[in-house]
Amino acid sequence: MQYLAMIYGDQAVWESFTPEQRDDAYKRYGAFAEEAQQAGVMAGGNELASTTTATTVRVRGDETLVTDGPFVELKESLGGYFVLECDSVDDACIWAARIPGAAHGAIEVRRIHVKEGEES
Amino acid sequence: MKYAALLTNNADDIAAWEQLTPEQTAAARANEIPRWEALFAELGPTGALGFSAELDSPSTAKTVRVRDGETIVTDGPFAELKEQIGGVIEIEAPDLDAAIAIAERIPVATSGSVELRPVIER
Repeated sequence: MQYLAMIYGDQAVWESFTPEQRDDAYKRYGAFAEEAQQAGVMAGGNELASTTTATTVRVRGDETLVTDGPFVELKESLGGYFVLECDSVDDACIWAARIPGAAHGAIEVRRIHVKEGEES
Repeated sequence: MKYAALLTNNADDIAAWEQLTPEQTAAARANEIPRWEALFAELGPTGALGFSAELDSPSTAKTVRVRDGETIVTDGPFAELKEQIGGVIEIEAPDLDAAIAIAERIPVATSGSVELRPVIER
């Protein structure tokens, strides 16, 4: 089964990082990704640009409403996600705990919906 | 440019959805499926749509934090919000306007919203 591990963190902390601190953070993410890859757990992921670059699209009636910014402003925002291939939600949580962002932000783990007849 | 489209639904709609019988859920899905199929049938071959995932309900979420070396797992989403993420679709588009033109066709845009976030490619 696949799980989406959504990484929430304080963007202000990230933006306050020195280049050295960012390099260090990227190294720790790289190490996590490699470990998960070797264990056959890593199925994808993305780092998202800051919420200041977000655009939110809604369609109401025949009208498309486009607004700058995320759908909701939070102190801790979604900064990226990994797709994890795990046997159970408990396993997915064990892997989520190894994501560097878990140590200061939070990782929300949600199972990716499996359509009927495609159970894997 | 690669974008992640975060599909969000109103929390009240999600709660109402969870109260439906399996038959009602199937009927509601049947109503939306043609719009999804049309989107993927048209845009799938163009390579504009990448990885996509529909997520199980926020009520099934687990939230994981590590503090002082200890893992804390709580039930429920990271935050109780009026709108909750219900899915993700990766979009490949030449620019933001092109991504918006795709986002407005995603069925969720008519009931909830679609947040477009550029993906950082390193």
